[in-house]
Amino acid sequence: MAIRASNWGWNPAGRRRYALILLWTGHGLWALFGQRPGELWARTAGLIARPAQRVASGWEAWREKRREQRRSYAELQAENARLRAQVAALELGAAQQAPRLTETDEAERLLGLRRQIPLQLSAARVIHSTRPEAFGGLILDGGREQGLMPDQGVLVPEGVVGRLWSVGPTQSKVLPADAPNASLAVMLARSRATGVLQGLGSGRAAIRYISNQEVVQVGEAVLTSGLDRVFPRGLLVGYVSQVVKGDLELRVTVQLSAPLDRIRLVLLLPPQPPLEVQEPFVAPEQRPARKRGTP
Amino acid sequence: MSRPVAQSGRQDLLCGLALALVFLCAPFPRLQAVFHVMLILALAPRIGAPLRTALWAAAGGWALEGALRLYPHMGGTPWADMTVALLVAWIAGRWPVEHLKGWLARLAALAVLHTLLVHGAVRLAAGPHPWGSGWAWALVTLPLWGWVLWRLLYAGASPRRR
Repeated sequence: MAIRASNWGWNPAGRRRYALILLWTGHGLWALFGQRPGELWARTAGLIARPAQRVASGWEAWREKRREQRRSYAELQAENARLRAQVAALELGAAQQAPRLTETDEAERLLGLRRQIPLQLSAARVIHSTRPEAFGGLILDGGREQGLMPDQGVLVPEGVVGRLWSVGPTQSKVLPADAPNASLAVMLARSRATGVLQGLGSGRAAIRYISNQEVVQVGEAVLTSGLDRVFPRGLLVGYVSQVVKGDLELRVTVQLSAPLDRIRLVLLLPPQPPLEVQEPFVAPEQRPARKRGTP
Repeated sequence: MSRPVAQSGRQDLLCGLALALVFLCAPFPRLQAVFHVMLILALAPRIGAPLRTALWAAAGGWALEGALRLYPHMGGTPWADMTVALLVAWIAGRWPVEHLKGWLARLAALAVLHTLLVHGAVRLAAGPHPWGSGWAWALVTLPLWGWVLWRLLYAGASPRRR
C-alpha cells in the first residue's frame, strides 16, 4: 500500500502513484477550468441536438395546438349548451309572460275606452265562458258585492258584448249579443234606421224591424241606439254582413265586432246610462271602404 | 504518530461512517460541516497510503458539494479536501504527534487552513459564495471530536494513563 519514493515504474506502487496524481490533477483541472469546457460541450451538444429539438418543439406545438382546438371546441360546446339553456329559459319566460302581456294590452285598451266614454265604468274579468253551451254566456268575477246589477251593459274596445243577465254575490253572467235570446236596440250608422238586434250565434246577429224601404249597405256600421236604456247611443255593435229584402222588412245580418270568444277583460256601463254620452265612435280602421258608385 | 496496520480497517469503517453522516446531515449544514472536517482532517489521512487518503477525501468533498447543491460548478471542495488530506498525511508521517494537545492544536491549524483552501477552491471553480458558519462550528467542537478520534484511532486508553 505504501508508495516508495523510488517506485516510478509500471508496478502496483507506481500505478497507485499515477492514479493519485491523475486524481488530484484531474480534480484541480476540473475545478479550475471545468466550467468553460462544460459550456463548450453544452453548446456542442445543443448544436447536435438542434434537429431533434426542432422536431420535438414542432411535435409539442402540434400537440398544444390540438389541445387548444379541443379546448376551444369544448368551450364552444359548453357555450352552445349554455346559450341553448338561456334561450329555453327565455322562451319559457316569454310563454309565461304572454298571457300577462295580452291582459296588459287589453287593460290598456280598456283604459283608452274608459277615457272616451264619460261614464262611471267598472271593469271585470271574464273567468269562464259557457258560450258553446245552449244559452251560454260569459262569467265575470264581479257580482252584487261589487255593486253590479242585472241589465248593465258590457262592452270591450272592439264593441258591445252584451248585458248582465244574472248577478250573483260574487259572480255574474253576461248574456252576449249573439245569444238567441239576446236583444239590443241598434241603429244603422248611415241611414239612422233603428231596429232590434237579435242573436244568431257564432258572433252573428240579425236586425229586425227595419223597413225594406231603407237603404242598407253591406259593411255599414251598426251602433247602439240607446232606446233600450242599457247602452247609450253610438256604441259600435258590428257591421252589416248581409242584407236580404223581405216582404215587409229587410233581413239584415250583422257580424258583431266584439271578439266574444277571446274576451278577458270587459267594461261595465252603469245601470240605465243616459241616452247620449258623446259623439258615436267607430274605429276608423274597421270602417269598411265605400264602394265606388254607391251612395 | 505511528499506527498499527490492524487499525486500517477500523479507520475505513469510521471514514464510511463519517461519509454517511455527511450525506445524512444534509438538512443540518453546520453539523454536516463538522463531520466533513472530521473526515478530511482526522479520518481520511493515513501515512503511507496517499491514494486511499485522496479517495476518501474526494468522496467527502463530493458528498458535501452534492448534498449542498449550491454551486454552479462543483469540484472545488473535493480538490481542496484531497490537497489538505494529503498534506495532513504527509505532516503526520513527517512529524508524528505524541500528545493530545499537539493533536488538537494541529487539527485547529489544519481546520483553518482547510477552510481557507476550500473557500478559495470553490471560489475559483464556482465563483463567489457565502462562507457560512460551518467552519466556526467545526472549530468550536474540535476539542470534542478531536479527543474522541484520538481515543479511537491513536491512543486507545488516555495517553496520560500510559
